[in-house]
Amino acid sequence: MGMGTEYASAVAVVKAMENSLFTKSDLEQFINARNQNEFETLINSKNAGTLTEVWDMLRTFAPDSKELEILLYRNDFHNLKAVLKAMISGREPDNYFIEPSNVELDDLKEAFRTKDMDILPDYMREIAIQAYEILTTTLDGQLVDSLIDTTCMTTMQKSADNSGSDFMRKYVNLITVCADIKTAYRCSKMNKQRAFLEVAICGSPELDKESLIRSALSGTETLLSFLEHTTYGELAILLKESPAQFEKRCDDIITELAETARMKAFGIEPLVAYYIAKEAEIKNLRIISVCRESGADKETIMERLRELYV
Amino acid sequence: MNSMGLALAILGASFAALFAGIGSAKGVGLVGEAAAGVVSVDPNKFSKVLILQLLPGTQGLYGLLTAILMLSRIGVIGGNTAELSVAQGLMFLGASLPIAVVGLFSGIAQGRSAAAGVGITAKKPEHNGKAIIMAAMVETYAILALLVSILLIYNIAI
Repeated sequence: MGMGTEYASAVAVVKAMENSLFTKSDLEQFINARNQNEFETLINSKNAGTLTEVWDMLRTFAPDSKELEILLYRNDFHNLKAVLKAMISGREPDNYFIEPSNVELDDLKEAFRTKDMDILPDYMREIAIQAYEILTTTLDGQLVDSLIDTTCMTTMQKSADNSGSDFMRKYVNLITVCADIKTAYRCSKMNKQRAFLEVAICGSPELDKESLIRSALSGTETLLSFLEHTTYGELAILLKESPAQFEKRCDDIITELAETARMKAFGIEPLVAYYIAKEAEIKNLRIISVCRESGADKETIMERLRELYV
Repeated sequence: MNSMGLALAILGASFAALFAGIGSAKGVGLVGEAAAGVVSVDPNKFSKVLILQLLPGTQGLYGLLTAILMLSRIGVIGGNTAELSVAQGLMFLGASLPIAVVGLFSGIAQGRSAAAGVGITAKKPEHNGKAIIMAAMVETYAILALLVSILLIYNIAI
C-alpha cells in the first residue's frame, strides 16, 4: 500500500502465531517428562510447526523479500560445506543438509555432480568453484570451511546493506561479531598463523578485522583484554568462563534484537523476528532433547536454555 | 456566471464524498488485510477484528452526509436549484474541505491505528477494547471536521 504499512496481514498472522510459541512452563514440562515417550507425546501435543513450515508461510506473504533471504544464507553455506564434504568422502550429503534454504538442495547436488556451478545463485558461485578447487588439490577441509563461513558473513553483510534495513544490518552485525570472536579465540588457542586468520575472520563495522587478527596473534590474554574494551566485553568474559554460556549469550542477543521488532505493526521486521524466535525455540527443544539423553539435571538444562521471545 | 457558482458548489459536494471516501476505503482495506491475517490463524476472532475494521469506515459516511446536506441546501436534490454567485460557490467548496481533507487523512491514520490494534486482538484478545479505544481516538478529528463542514453549509447565505 506504500504508506509504511507493508505486510499488515503477515504481521497479524505472526502476532496470532506468537501465542503458540513455547512458554517457559511448556519447556519445564518437557524437561520434567518422565521418559522419552512422554517427552515426545508432549511435544507433539503442542503441535509446533517446523522451521520449514514457518519459512513457507512467511514466504507466501513476502515472496520477494530480500530481508528474509538473509536469514537462510547460513543454511545455504552450511549445505555447500555438506555437499563438498560428502563429495570428497563419497557419501550422500542428504543427512547433513539443513532446511529451509534459499538454494534448492537438488540444485546444489546437481551443480557438483555436473560441475556446472552456473546453477548456483550469484552469491555462491565463485566460492563454490574456489572451495572445490582447494578441496580437490589440497584436501584442506579446515581452510575451506573457514573460507565458506567468511563468505557467508560477507554475503550477509552485503545483502543487509543493500536491503537498507537497519534491523537486518544489526542482525548481521551481531552474528558476525559472535562468529569472529569465537574464531579469533579458537585460533589464538591453537596458535594459528596470520594467513589463516585473514581467511577465517570476517570483520564488521563494530569489530575491526585487522585489530582482531593482531590481538589474536599476540595470544589469548591479549585478545580477551582487547575484547573487554569493546562493546562486546561481556562476551569476552563469558568466553573465558564457559563456552556454553558464550554460545547461549550469542543466541540471546539475537533474540533481544528480535524483541525490538515485536512492537512494530507493519513491515518485514516482525516477520524476521518471528523466524528468529522459532529458530531459538527449535534450538531449545534440541538442547532439552540432548540434555535429557545425556542425563543432565534440570538446573543444567535450564541454564543452557535460550531466552524466550514471549 | 450563475452556472459557475453552482458548479463550484457541486465540486465541493463531490470533494466531500470523494476524499473522505478514499480515506475510509484505504483505512478499512488496511485493517481488512490485517484482520484476514488473524482470522486465517484463528477464525474465532472474526467478530472482534470486524469491529476494528469498521472504525475507519465512518469518514466515508461523514463525506456522504456532507455531500447530501450540501446538495440539498443548494437545491440539486429536492428541486429548486439555487442561483449561486461564484463567491457563494467558492464558499460551498470551502465548506466541503474540512471533511474532505480531514476525512482522507484521518481515515488512513485510523486504519493504521486499527490495523496495529488487530495485533493486540491477535495476541491478547482480552485487551481488544483497548485497541478499539486507541483507534477510536482518531475519530474525534473526523467528527470535528464534519461539524465545521455542516456549520458552514448551513450558514452560507444564499
